[in-house]
Amino acid sequence: MTNLFPNAWHVARREYLQRVRTRTFLIVTGVLALVGLAIALLPIGIRLIAGDEGTQVGIIQHAAVDGDAAAVLQSVLAANAGEGGTTYEVRSVDDEDEGRSLVREGELDGLVTMTRASDDELSFTFFTDAGPTSQTLFAIRSATTQISIGDRLERAGVDPSQARDIFAPTPFDIEAVDPEATDPEELYGPKYIVAMALVILTFMAVITYGTWVATSVAEEKSSRVMELLITAATPRQLLAGKVIGNGAAGLTQYLAVAGAAGIGLLLQGVIAERVFGEAGSIDLQGIDLSVLVPFGLLFIPGFLLYCTLYAGFGSMASRQEDVTQVTGPMLFIGMGGYFASFIAINTPDETWVMVLSLIPFFSPYLLPARYVLTGNVAPWEWLAAGILMLVFLLLALWLAARIYSAGVLLYGQRSSLRSVWRAVRVDR
Amino acid sequence: MSLTIENVHKRFGPVVALNGVSFSVEPGRIFGLLGANGAGKTTCMRIVLDILRPDEGTVTWQGARNTSLPRDTWGYLPEERGLYMRMKVIDVLRFFAALYGVPGDAATRIVEEWLERFRVPDYRDRRVEELSKGNQQKIQFIAAILHDPDVLIMDEPFSGLDPVNVQLLKEAFLEMRDRGKTLIFSTHQMETVEELCEGIAIIDRGTVVVSGSVRDVKRAMGRQVVRLATDGDGRGMEWLTALDGVKVTADRADFVELSVPAGTDPELILRTAMQRGERVTRFEIGDPSLEEIFIEHVGWRADEEERHLAEAPAGAGVAGDGAPGNEGPA
Repeated sequence: MTNLFPNAWHVARREYLQRVRTRTFLIVTGVLALVGLAIALLPIGIRLIAGDEGTQVGIIQHAAVDGDAAAVLQSVLAANAGEGGTTYEVRSVDDEDEGRSLVREGELDGLVTMTRASDDELSFTFFTDAGPTSQTLFAIRSATTQISIGDRLERAGVDPSQARDIFAPTPFDIEAVDPEATDPEELYGPKYIVAMALVILTFMAVITYGTWVATSVAEEKSSRVMELLITAATPRQLLAGKVIGNGAAGLTQYLAVAGAAGIGLLLQGVIAERVFGEAGSIDLQGIDLSVLVPFGLLFIPGFLLYCTLYAGFGSMASRQEDVTQVTGPMLFIGMGGYFASFIAINTPDETWVMVLSLIPFFSPYLLPARYVLTGNVAPWEWLAAGILMLVFLLLALWLAARIYSAGVLLYGQRSSLRSVWRAVRVDR
Repeated sequence: MSLTIENVHKRFGPVVALNGVSFSVEPGRIFGLLGANGAGKTTCMRIVLDILRPDEGTVTWQGARNTSLPRDTWGYLPEERGLYMRMKVIDVLRFFAALYGVPGDAATRIVEEWLERFRVPDYRDRRVEELSKGNQQKIQFIAAILHDPDVLIMDEPFSGLDPVNVQLLKEAFLEMRDRGKTLIFSTHQMETVEELCEGIAIIDRGTVVVSGSVRDVKRAMGRQVVRLATDGDGRGMEWLTALDGVKVTADRADFVELSVPAGTDPELILRTAMQRGERVTRFEIGDPSLEEIFIEHVGWRADEEERHLAEAPAGAGVAGDGAPGNEGPA
């Protein structure tokens, strides 16, 4: 029985450098980092394209009303849109032709012409390319109606302060038929997105980088370096080295992408300020980023768990083409957890979700996801998940080392679960 | 204290790969492991290296079980060559050196020395995949010995090498032997064994049919070989077959080769020839060649693999009870 180190380090170092130095790794990491950055900066892009000045409306005033028509329209539109709604900017236009050409050029979203007919009634024309269901159209129509009603009341001699009371908003509550059946995305908002991100990113990491480990094992078998390797080092040293080396390379890529996205998020405020001349209110909307700590603590051993088993299964493949087949069980577990999570995220308080979120293959993403969604994760649950994870990891190391010692010298056999089992039972 | 393989059995599922293999190798010697493909040589080597565990039996080196020996006791050149194709020669070799605990500087020095010896110093910074098969094999050999192992185990080290490189490798073998290293290799080439090996074991279908020092193995055959040439047409030597037990084993253009059984004095042939008035131009008494010994024990020539494979029964490797002379450790 020999020590795990330093040979595991030598193997890990070679694996890491060989992986990280390849052109594929550099290109893929670069592209993914750019994608991460782009996604992080997406809100700014959207704002930039949509324009942040809100909806621009021009008004030509051919009739006198109480106060400046542009200011009146703007205040009514703003009151109707409410907090966080579309902002409207209304400005006076003097000339009809000038206003129309501004609309055609896209400077204005629409031009309101206000006239007073012979019967003293206010009438409006809205020059726009907005479709019949456009929000702007509805907003303008209801605002002008209000102005018109206000004008009638004034002509009827109603006191302006009384008129304000008439327009005061009515109390209005919404009651759902089934309060449980609320759309989770609406219920949890950005928390839901964070939870989904945890699931998807973890799933992708374990499957992608796990496959790296398996492929690298199969590669050594097919190139027959393996026979020399196992005379130089023990199966446990090789296994540990492979998992650490490839795992570290995977994490390097993962962190590069996450880092790029993180920098993007941090810089969003600064960029928004430069571009829009105002502090962009980047609202992480009350997301408690402290979830990243337990997530990291579960993710690392969980990641190692997948990689270890992938290495064990990978050693059953004689050629690289067989890798997908022999690592099938891992993909099955991974996919199972992935799809279960989609259901679980919608019902994070169900018992089966609570149980599933403690099982090591799923706990790295389900438990943090539950925490993000409901905040309702007891300390003992974190502890139990952690302990279970370590137990599973040790079991996986033992199991994978056995499969590995037997598998690395098996060539050409159709690897089935039965042959894996035989490999585990037989002492080399 | 020698390397002793004792009563080793190994089966893979229904196939018996080794069926009670025993032999021993004297330290500081070059030892040949002979056998047709599928006879069990590679399995035997893997068991010695402790990368396979026998179902039964033991391997000891200098009195210690191989399972308790450090890995750097052994150097191994597997039959299926394999290196990291995309790495530089020096990096691959330094990696293997590191696994054996050889520090980087020392490893670089050793590698450079060996590349120089093999007349390929400029391969140091080449990628392995750029090298020819023969040259990759030299790199593989360096990988097997750069930690200066006590026992060097090589599976078909000469296959695929050109004559010049075969010679370089033989010289390396002899030099290592002179430094007290023990070398074990398998081969089909009997001439190489005759030239290098002091001890041999012939394995046939999982059983050692004969083993020991080359001289003892030859003596144990109990017969001798006579090469005889006479002046004249050289034909019409029917009189030879009249001699009791003497057989003509080869009838060459300028001489005949005779097999003389134990108990018959080879000089009898010479005397008979003289009595008959033949003019003897060549008379030579020798031991049978390993080639002949191999054929006698195994039934076909070592390099006639295809015939062997064709004749091998399903579940090849199962040795019958009647396998001749398992002589055990010498």
